[in-house]
This record gives sequence, C-alpha cells and structure tokens, in this order.
Amino acid sequence: MILQSLRIEQLRQFRNPFVLGNLQPGLNLIHGPNESGKSTLVRAIRAAFFERYRSTAVDDLRPWGDSAAAPTVALEFENQGELWRLTKSFLQRKRCDLTIGTSSFSEDEAEEKLAELLGYQYPKRGASKAEHWGIPGLLWVEQGTGQDLEQSVEHAGDHLKSALNSLVGEVASSGGDEVIEAVRAQRNHILTGTGKPRGEYLQLDKDRLAFEQTIGELKERILRYQEQVDRLGKLTREYERTEVERPWEDAQRLLDEAQARFQQVLQLEQVQAQEKATLDQLQQSRRLLEQNKEYQENLSRQLAARKLDLDKAEADLQRLELQSPATTERLRAAREAYESAEQRMKQARLREARSRLEQDVKRLEQRAQQLSQNLAKAGEYQQQVENARQQARENRIDAAEVKRLKVAEHQLNEATIRSSAIATRFSWNLEPERSITLNDDALQNRGEQQLLDESRVVIPGVGTLGITPGGESLASTRRKLATLQQTVSELRASLGVDSVTSAENRLSDFEKAERAQQHAQELLKSVAPAGIDPLVVEQREAKRELENATEKLATTPNSDTSIDVPDLATAEAAFEQTASALTAAESDDQKHRTALMAVQQTRDTAKAEWQRLVDQEQSPERQQQLKQIAEELVAIEQKTKALEERLEARSREILEARPDLLKQDIERYQSTIRNLRQTQEDRGRELRDIKVRLEAWGAEGLDEQLNEQEAELERCNRRYQELHRRAQALELLLTLLTEKRQALTRRLQAPLQRHLDHYLSVLFPHATLEVDEHLRPGTFTRGAELGQVTELSFGAREQMGLISRLAYADLLREAGRPTLVILDDTLVHSDEERLDDMKRILFDAATRHQILLFTCHPEKWQDLGVPPVDIQALKA
Amino acid sequence: MPRFLHTADWQMGRSYSRFDIEDGAALVEARFAGIEKLAELANEHQCDAVLVAGDVFDAQTVSDRTIRRVFNATKGFEGPWVMLPGNHDAALAESVWTRALRLGAVPDNVHLALQPGVVPLEAQGLAVLCAPLTQRHTYGDLTEPFSHYETPDDLLRIGLAHGSVQGLLSDDIDATNPIALDRAEVSRLDYLALGDWHGTKQVNERTWYSGTHEAERFRNNDAGNALIVEITGPGATPSVTQVVTGRYQWHQWRETLAVKSDLEELLDRLEALPDASVVDLRLEGAVTLAGEERLLEALSVAEARFRSIQCDRSKLQLEPTEDDLSELHADGYVGEVIGELRQRQQEQQSEEARDALAILASLLKGRAQEGGQ
Repeated sequence: MILQSLRIEQLRQFRNPFVLGNLQPGLNLIHGPNESGKSTLVRAIRAAFFERYRSTAVDDLRPWGDSAAAPTVALEFENQGELWRLTKSFLQRKRCDLTIGTSSFSEDEAEEKLAELLGYQYPKRGASKAEHWGIPGLLWVEQGTGQDLEQSVEHAGDHLKSALNSLVGEVASSGGDEVIEAVRAQRNHILTGTGKPRGEYLQLDKDRLAFEQTIGELKERILRYQEQVDRLGKLTREYERTEVERPWEDAQRLLDEAQARFQQVLQLEQVQAQEKATLDQLQQSRRLLEQNKEYQENLSRQLAARKLDLDKAEADLQRLELQSPATTERLRAAREAYESAEQRMKQARLREARSRLEQDVKRLEQRAQQLSQNLAKAGEYQQQVENARQQARENRIDAAEVKRLKVAEHQLNEATIRSSAIATRFSWNLEPERSITLNDDALQNRGEQQLLDESRVVIPGVGTLGITPGGESLASTRRKLATLQQTVSELRASLGVDSVTSAENRLSDFEKAERAQQHAQELLKSVAPAGIDPLVVEQREAKRELENATEKLATTPNSDTSIDVPDLATAEAAFEQTASALTAAESDDQKHRTALMAVQQTRDTAKAEWQRLVDQEQSPERQQQLKQIAEELVAIEQKTKALEERLEARSREILEARPDLLKQDIERYQSTIRNLRQTQEDRGRELRDIKVRLEAWGAEGLDEQLNEQEAELERCNRRYQELHRRAQALELLLTLLTEKRQALTRRLQAPLQRHLDHYLSVLFPHATLEVDEHLRPGTFTRGAELGQVTELSFGAREQMGLISRLAYADLLREAGRPTLVILDDTLVHSDEERLDDMKRILFDAATRHQILLFTCHPEKWQDLGVPPVDIQALKA
Repeated sequence: MPRFLHTADWQMGRSYSRFDIEDGAALVEARFAGIEKLAELANEHQCDAVLVAGDVFDAQTVSDRTIRRVFNATKGFEGPWVMLPGNHDAALAESVWTRALRLGAVPDNVHLALQPGVVPLEAQGLAVLCAPLTQRHTYGDLTEPFSHYETPDDLLRIGLAHGSVQGLLSDDIDATNPIALDRAEVSRLDYLALGDWHGTKQVNERTWYSGTHEAERFRNNDAGNALIVEITGPGATPSVTQVVTGRYQWHQWRETLAVKSDLEELLDRLEALPDASVVDLRLEGAVTLAGEERLLEALSVAEARFRSIQCDRSKLQLEPTEDDLSELHADGYVGEVIGELRQRQQEQQSEEARDALAILASLLKGRAQEGGQ
C-alpha cells in the first residue's frame, strides 16, 4: 500500500484545500513547526479510515467557529496494483466514496472495504477509539505513544494472527477460539474456575446425599417397623398362649392350699397360746401357795428365834442385877474418901495461912527497926555533908587559874632570865651617900640593874645620862616581859593570892573538903537513898503494917491439932485424886443403871413377841390352812404335768407344719399371681401400643416411600453421572484445545521473532527480545541483563516499540497485507547515537514499507537521505 | 368342570427406579391395569375362582392408597379370589393384610389365606390348600402339611403356595421357602398353583408357576401371563392354558456395532418392536459421526414411541470418517484435537475422549450449519 496523495479541506486550520501530494513509496519526511498543521494531517488520515462518515463525534475536525463546515479528506493510494481513491466528508456533508480501480463503493460498503483491507473495526457508536484501530493502531504511531506497544498489539491481535496464519501456511483453525470459548462456556456451566461442580451438577451431588440420608432414615424406620412387627407376633403368641393356659390359676390354687394350711397352723398356735396362759396361771397359783406355805412354816422358825432372843435378854438382865451391889459399894467408898480428903485439905490450908501471918509480923518488926537505925545514921551523915560543904566554900579556888598562874610565873621567870642576859647591865658603885637617879629612881651604893629601856641616869650635879639598850630582841623581850608581869599580877589579884604557893595550898584545901563532902553524901545515900523525908514515911508505913499483921494473927484460929494434917500440897493432891475417883464411880453407876433399864426393856419386848407368836402358833386356823395348802399343791402339780405334755405335743405339731415356710409360700404365690397377671396386662398394653404404632407407621407406606426415594436417588445418580462424564469430557476437551492452541501460537511466533531479531541486531547487538504467546515483545536480555521490555527506560522502550512495529509491518507485508507506517514526531527521547541506529533501521524498513515521518525537528532527520516536505511551503 | 385362573407375584407397590418419573408411573399403572385385566380374563374364560399365589404386595408398608387400589382392581370379577401371602407380604402379626382388613378394603369375595389350611370353595368344587408365609423367610417346606389336610372327596384339591421348587430353578431364586418337587403327587393335589418365579413355568403336569401378570424387569423369562386351569374332576389331569396379561414388553439388548449394516439392522429391529415396549440398549463397537447422528435420531423417535428406551453408548466409540471431518471444517488446532481424541478413544478406551469428541463434533457441526446457512 502506497499512499500517493492526501487532500483536506474545511478541516481544522485547513479551511482551504490543502494537498500533500507526490508521496514516495519509501520514506517521506514531512515537517513543519508547531501549529503548522502537522498533527492535523495525521488526524485527517486517521479520520478518513477510522471514523464513520456519519459520525457525530468528530467535532474536533471542524474549523474553529465554522458550524457550516464539511470537513473533507481525500486520499489516493495504490494497493496490489490497484488505485484506491477515498473521499470522506463529515458533519455538514456526510459522505464516503471509494473507488478501487474501476469499482466504486460508497457509504458503509466503502468503509467496510477499507476496514477489511487494513484490518480494523468501526465503533458501534461515537468516536473511534484505540480498541477499534486494529493493525493501523499498531503501525500508525501517535505523538508520544511509541513506547506503548502492548495495548496496540492486543487490539491488532486477531488481524495479526490471521496475517500470521496465512504466512506460516498453518490453519489456526477457523473460529477455533470460538470453539474454545463455547467449550469453556459449557464447562463453566458445570464446573467452577477451579474445577469444582457448580449449578445443577453441584445440586445433584447435594441431592444424592440428601436422598441417601432420607433413604437411610427410611430404612432405619422400616427396620424398626419390622422389629415391631416381630415383637407384635411374639407378644401375640405369648399373650394368647397365656390367656389359654392361665398360669396364675395354678398359682392361685397353690396359694389357697397354702393359706388353708397356714390357717390350721394358726389355730393350733392359738390353742397353744391359750394353754400356755393356763399353764402360766397354774404356775402362778402354785407360786402363791408355796409362798403361803413358806410363810406358815416361817412362823415356827420365828417363834424359836424369839425364844432365843427372850432367853438372852433374861440372861443379860440377871447379869446386870448381880453387878448392882458392887457398883453401889464402890460409889459409897469413893464418896467417903472424897469427904475425908476434903477435910484434911481444909486443915492444911488453915495452918498454912497462920504460919504465913506469923512470918509477916516478924519481917515487919525487923524492917521497922532497920528503918529507925537508918534514920539516925542519915542525920549524922547529913551533918557531915554540911561541914564538908562549909569547908569547901571557904577554900574555893579555881584549879585552872592556879595552873595558869603557875605557867605564867614560870614563863615570867624564864623571860626575866632571858632579858637579863641580853639587857644592858647597869651597875653602879657609888660613893656612899651619894646617889644618882636612874630613871628617877635613886640609886645608891652599889648595885646593878639591867636596862632594857631607854633610860636616863641623873647624876646629881653632873647631869643626866641617857642609856639606850641596843638590839631588836631587847625590845620584844622587854614587851613580853611586861606582858607576863601584867598577866601574873592580874592572876594573883584575881586569885587573891600573893604567890603560887599560897594558891596551891588553897587549892589543896578545897579539894580535900570536896572529897569529904562527897563521902558524906554517899553514906547518906546508902541509908536514905531518897532522902531523909521518905525514909521517915517508910518507917511510919512499916510500923502500921506491923500493927495490922499482928492484929490479923491474933484473930486467926489455931488449927485442930487432933488431926494429922499433912502439908497443903499433899492434901490438895489427895483431894484431887479422890474427886476424880468419885466422878468415875458415879459414871459407872450411871451406866450400869442405864444398861439395866435397857436390858429390862429388851427383855419385856422379847417376851411380848414371843408370847404373841406362841399364841399364833397354837391357833387351829393355821393348822387347817397348812393342810389345805398341801392339798392344793398336789392338785396343781397334776394339772401342770398334763398341760405340759399337751403343749409339748402341739408344739411339735406346729414346728413340723413349718409356718414360716408356709408364710413364704403364700407370699411367693401371691407375688407369682401378681407378676403373671401384671406380665399379661403389660403384654396386652404393649400389644395395643404396638398395634397403634404400627397402624400409624403402616399408613405412611414406608416401603413405598423408600422405593420412591430410591428411584429418585437412582435418577439423581444417573443424571449426576451424565454430568460428571460431561464435565470430564469438557475438561479434557478444553485442556486439549488450549494446549493445541498454545502450541500453534508458539509456531506462529517464529517469523515475528525473525523480523524482530533483524532490527534488534542493529540497535542492540548481542541482545535478544523474545516474543510471547500473545505475540508481544516480552523478555529482553542483553548480556547479564534479563527483564521485561516494560522495565526499560522510556527512550529504550520507545525504540523497542518502533522496531517491534516495524517487525509487525514486515510480518504483515510477508503475509501480503497492506502496510503503511506513520510516525508522528517519534524518537524524541533518543540520543544521537541511538537515533543514528534508528535512522539506519528506518531507512532499511523504508525499502519495504512506505513511511510517513512527521516532525517539527527536520534538522534531526536531515541525514535520512530523503528530501523533506515543508508543510508551510505547501500551504503557500 | 371347575376352572380357575392362576396368577401370582403382582408385587404391587413397586416403583421403577431406572426410569424417568413419568415412565415409572405408567409402568406402575400398568400393574393395576393388569389386575383389572385378570378380572376380565376370569370373566371371559368363565373361571370359578382366581388364585393368587403370593406376593400380591411388594412390601408390607405400601401406602393405603395402593392397598385400596389393589382390591378395587379385583372388582371386575365377582367370583372368589384367594390371595396367599408370599415372602414380600408375609402374614406377620402386623402386615399389609391386617392393614387391608382394618381399612375395610377387602371385598367379601376375596379370601385372604392368612393361616395355613384349607379354604373350601364348595360352590366352585374347589378345596384350596393354602401354605401362606407367616414369616419373612422359612427354611422348611410349608406345603408339607398339605398331605394331612383332608378335603371332601368331591372337591378338587388345589394347592396354593409361594416358594422355590427344589432342584428345579436356578440359584437366582431364594433358597428359602423351599417346596418339594413332588408335592402335588405326594399330597394328592389335583393342581399346585405356585408363585415366586416371575416367568410362566411348568414344573410338572400338575405344578405350575404362573409368573407375574405384568413384567417388571428385563430378565427375559416369559413374564406377563396368567394360567387358565381346567380340571374335569378329582384326579383328572389339568388342562392349563397360558393367556397374556401383560401390557409392556421388556427388552434388553446388548449389541456391538462393527460395520454399517449392524446399525441398520439394530434400527430395523427397534422399529419392529411394538409401542408398548420398554427397551434397554447397551451398545459397543464403533460408529461414524454420521452413524451416531442416525442412531440418535432413531433413539429420539423411539423415545417418543416406546414407553421407555434407554441407551448406553459409553462403550460405543466414535469413528469420524474423512467425510465427517471435512463436513465439520475442523481445521487448524481443532483438527489436531479431534485426532488426539480419536487416538485416545481407540488406544485408551477412554469414555472421556469419546464424550469430548462427541461434544466437539456437535459444536463444530452447529458452527458448520450456521456457516452453511
């Protein structure tokens, strides 16, 4: 297919007719700046083919603001030796005319021809979109879409494949894909995507289970029904047999017998009990009789005992009475001894008192005498004391003062001696009659004086001499001496003595008087300790006491001298002894008399008892009674024996009848009857129950239901098996078809691969680009690189896209399909070097295909080896 | 000259699982109609009585409706009917019979032989010695007491029993409920009417199985008959006439198609069958696509004509001829798939492959036809 000319009118900015003619079979470089109408030309070519002439969705073709316009495109191209002329007008004048050689077509027919030729579809309505573009969509690259290959290949798919089919001489199966789709649809009707049953197939499977379950339940119920029927048969037989045999009647008979026998035993036991009671009564009577008898016999024994008691009491009494005189005698003797001892004790006491009085008188006399003597001596001693006291008064001197004087004089003497030793000795020897005065003391004759003080010596006629004794100690000595002299003189004065000696004499006299006084006082004290006056009183008292004692003695009688009177202590001891003896005797006597009375009492009582019993024993009633008792006892004994024998015999009889077993038998038979009847009743009830149940179940027609359900199941199974087989067949068919189709596709890929490799070797030597099953470039490898085309850079993808499209073009051409390549400003992202390679590729491709290359960068393409066509120039 | 009708094994209450619901229902109806037919025949042949030798009912718990319908169907013949419980409807303590009695469904002229013993039909000159099954299975010969049953000399001694005559029938029949081969002779019977074997079968001159009145299985054993028995007097040899009672014929064919004429022959045979047929086909061998198409067409026709036709073609391989294939326009990989399926079908006897091939062929055919239009 070679496009020869393009003419447009009233289309976008080309309001006036514009012709792009003289197009070459190979490369055509058409250029113009932006807004020059380059893209409009491309759009016009597309519209001519893709858009329905009667489409209302092509407003974009209208010149701006020109609503009356009828955008028109006219094309001329050669295809397989025939010239195709196409004129298509839109909007205001909707027309399509096509002439192929000499044939003319118009409207829809013309459009179908074009679509068939180039391999594309028209849209059902509206503007044509990429999915309709088919092969031209692959070969006509719009600006900026060169890299987007996948969609284009997909849209071109069937056209490509049919081209390939004719190419490889292989029938891809006419409508094979439809068959696959039909098979898939049928399969999907039965199976899910993952091969699981669905729809009816699935439902059948569920139904089968449901039926099986229902059938299982029905079978179960039928089985139970049959069991119940069997049970009914068995029960009915048992029931009827039992009704005939009536086994409880046998039991009843046995029961009656047992009860009769038991009744007999009961009667026996009753009689036995009565006779036992009688026996008890007899024994009771005998016991009473025996008691009576024993009582009677007891009476004699008591009488004997009483006799013994009485005798003993008598003996006791007699013994005590014999003891009585001795006791009385002992009492009298004791009393006598007591009285005698009492008399003697009195006499002794009298004599004792008199002798004491006599002694008192004597003592008092002595005392009175003593006191008189003492009183005389006391007067004497009193005189002596007075004398001594007088003496002492006269010579009283202080012993301590005397001692002090003595010491002072001694010290004065010593001081005088010392002073004369150190004093200035002043001696003198004067002519007689002559005198001098020393310190106003007239000195005569001879003499010596020791001077202690400053002294003046006046010598008459001569004058006065001053003497001053030297030395310090002289002065103190002189002072001390003076002091001592002072002291001595003062002491002498106070003592009233003129010397020490006289003082000492006085002191001695004083002390002597003192001692005499003290001695006299002590003597006085020895005779009159409390003084003389108390002594006088005491003497008077003693005299009075003496008088009293003397008087008392005179009044005291003298004791009886006829009686031998022991001393008082002996008399008192004897009295004490006799008193206690008397007491003991009196007590004995008392006891004896009490015992005697008690024994007499006992004897009286015993005697009375004895007498009573004697009376009783001797009574005739008692004799009678005893006799009667003996007779009755004999009678009772006989009766008892007979009774006991009967009891023994009957007891054996009862024992042999085994009443316990009889009782158990009765219970057993009763229970048996009850059980038998109960069992039969139960049987009857169960029979009725089962009958009712079976009637209900039977009415359900279980077996028939089962039959029907089984039939349903079988139908269900049959249908399921059909579907199952169909599913498997479809699955197999689909698998096989898919596999075969894939194998075919792989065969178809080969020529495309060849063409692709051709271009790739120019662009990327040593690289490979594999075509996938959808005939798309897929895996790209270059050295160690491995990846999808879509992962390459934009530029590389654009280049890959272009060479792929050229490869498709080659493929289509080989298949005898028209190829026209239109590139609108492509490869703008390629670098210089890659662009050079692409130019070589384009040039190469242009030897096989017509290529229209629109660009706004003509300088990039000037080395393409073709003259560029300038749109601007054409417009002009 | 007493004459009676001998029938057995009605198996009422049975349903047919292998057929479609509609067909099954029709076959069930036919069994009821069969009883009416028996009544008609009894009248037609002026029979004195109808003896039913067991298995009147297929099961104990059939529906009340079935019970009533069975007895209703006997109404056409007003003479005495004697019905014997068989193994399917044994006279248990509670049974289909007690239910029937309770329902009041049993007409007066129908005698139920629920107890072993003699049913005297003096007016008809018959003494029917009955050996009903009172248990589901017995292992003793229930007809043995027949020897002890005394009957008036002027009455025919007719035995009525249900079971398998020993040493006669194949093992298919239950070994239970045995009946001595010489029962008629030993027990001085004039005739022994038997049930249990569903085909009409003579055991000896006095002993017969009547078979079921309406066939209910494919086993071809001469079912669908009743016997008209005529005996001139005690001791006389019975004259037995077989009459058809069944409506439907049951056919089960196993055919192998090898050459084209095999199919033609089969189709001819099918065509020759009466409408009241129940057919079960199982085909083997191989058939061309054209042949299969013809077969399917014939089956479609037969389905409409017969009561039921079932055809198992899973073992019948499809062998498309070159013509078949060209007709299908199976080119490209679809053609390859056909080849593959044919190969699998032949080499692996694969039913799947056969089915897949059939599906593909029908698809392609549909397409070819569309294309052709």
